[in-house]
Amino acid sequence: MIEFDNVSLRLSAFALHEVSLTIMAGDYYFIMGPSGAGKTILLEALAGLHIPDEGRILLKGEDITGIPPEMRKIGLVYQDYSLFPHMTVEKNIGFGLRMQGLHHPERKKRVDTLMKKLGVGHLAQRAPLTLSGGEMQRVAIARALAIEPEILLLDEPLSALDPIMRDFFVDELRELHREQGLTIVQVTHERHEALNLGTRMALIRDGRLEQEGAIDDVFVRPRTRTAAEFMGFENIIPGIVSDAGGPDCRFDTGTVSFSCSTKAIKGENGAVCIRADDISVREKTDPGTDRDNTYRGKIVAVNPSGPMVRIDVDIGLNIVMVMSRKTFESRHLKKGSEIVLTVSPDDIYIISTGTPDTTCS
Amino acid sequence: MTSRIKPDLCLISFALVGSTLVILILLALLNITATQLSDIPFLLQVAQDSRVTDSILLTFTAGLNAVIILVLLGTPLAYVLARTHSRFNNIIESIIDIPLVLPHTVAGIMIYLLFMQRGLIGAPLKDVGFIFEDAYPGIVAAMLFVALPFYVDTAREGFEKVPLHLENVARTLGATRFRAFSLVVFPLSIRHILNGCILAWGRAISEFAAVIMIAYYPMVISTLIYYRFTTGGIKESTAIAFLMILASFSVFVLLRLVTRYVGRYDDRV
Repeated sequence: MIEFDNVSLRLSAFALHEVSLTIMAGDYYFIMGPSGAGKTILLEALAGLHIPDEGRILLKGEDITGIPPEMRKIGLVYQDYSLFPHMTVEKNIGFGLRMQGLHHPERKKRVDTLMKKLGVGHLAQRAPLTLSGGEMQRVAIARALAIEPEILLLDEPLSALDPIMRDFFVDELRELHREQGLTIVQVTHERHEALNLGTRMALIRDGRLEQEGAIDDVFVRPRTRTAAEFMGFENIIPGIVSDAGGPDCRFDTGTVSFSCSTKAIKGENGAVCIRADDISVREKTDPGTDRDNTYRGKIVAVNPSGPMVRIDVDIGLNIVMVMSRKTFESRHLKKGSEIVLTVSPDDIYIISTGTPDTTCS
Repeated sequence: MTSRIKPDLCLISFALVGSTLVILILLALLNITATQLSDIPFLLQVAQDSRVTDSILLTFTAGLNAVIILVLLGTPLAYVLARTHSRFNNIIESIIDIPLVLPHTVAGIMIYLLFMQRGLIGAPLKDVGFIFEDAYPGIVAAMLFVALPFYVDTAREGFEKVPLHLENVARTLGATRFRAFSLVVFPLSIRHILNGCILAWGRAISEFAAVIMIAYYPMVISTLIYYRFTTGGIKESTAIAFLMILASFSVFVLLRLVTRYVGRYDDRV
């Protein structure tokens, strides 16, 4: 288990502020956040490449804050793979074993096994700069695995690959995690990578921890507006809880109100979060249910994106929804068309941003 | 419609303007070569003068000695400057560059005051039998002083160009900082290191003013040329100068050829 205990770290213009998080053994843990949030610094601090100014980093309960990187046995793969350009693929992979003082025959045996496993055996004598992105990534992972680390750190390992290779490597990383029983900590700003592979995640912004938890929990129940934005909620509308009681509440945005199946406190300031794909167009013949939120509106913008269409609808406030291009065309919709939208109270999530004036049970 | 490639007038005019500098050097070389080739027997006679050959050898050796000391002391300094971002770095870099901006005679006086037998460094070293005044160590000290920025600055640039990520990865793979430096950073900076050596050596062997302040004897080639110019006249000193040009040019061409094939990892495709 890895623990960051109130870790603060200043690096020239950048700083991490009191970051506390827990990574369990065997986790596929994601560190997410916008560019410049401090994701890589956090990863490097875990590798021992930066010593925190304050706080501690614990590994299996033992304080490793002052232990240098060479003593930590934590594998690291950077976004650019950072292969040593003056060494062949074989020597790159064997570098860690050489540092461990392993003699040549044993070293070669282990390197050969790894190269075979990662499918780079035919590249043994090649110079790294002659390899493709995918090959480089395999070599970099093989090199990190050679030291048999318990923890593998991956800094945006898929970002330099084309989309097809990326999907392929997502499967490979899943397999690697399952087979090796490794704890993997991966930095990314791609939601789908975390959703596909991750067990838990931390969301970092401006060097501060926004939220930490199980992937699904952070994805479905973001605690802050930033977390909601990063988790892909297209509609984040500020307002106030106007009525609350039991499991449901009513949220008023000033122009439109929503019925939400969320426990809330009356008078609480906050924002409703609705995913664009949770909003649907109600057929004239569909009576719907009494619980559903139904709004009449006018299409103000249409943005086709591949097989989908993103539509901005004015229902008294701007709301974004998506539908398939096929559905959009079959309904003869266009900019200016009037439509009726519906969204289930179960698909509306409220984030709190302020203390309520009054409370209601 | 036929498309015609328009000549790049900007590049052409830049080349024309810049070529005046190349022409200047070529003219100087051609001029001295023509003068010397007009009296080959005299040139051969000067070339066979042991004082001339000894002086060239002394100059080259002292320069090499200064470069070896620079590599030993300057490499760690260059690495520290490349890998740290202290507010003192700018001050230290400015101090290193002082020999670049000083008149050579001023550098000579500074060296003399430091290394003379009553000097801050010269006095204690004299007690253990190490004398700089009019001695080989004095020549090396003067050469070291003036060549220092050329080596340290070039090596620092080389270290800075090695991505920090490579060093970081080496360390996570079990390399101490020193091993990461010696196995990853140094080999990848070897071209800069060699270029720094060549520049420093070239600067060292060309030094005159700083050297004569501390060590008029034994005569380095610059001192000998000046001495022959004042005692034997222009003809004798020009012949020695021409021999020095030939020797230096040969060594530089050889070194450049070596560095051309060393440390190239980015074009093995």
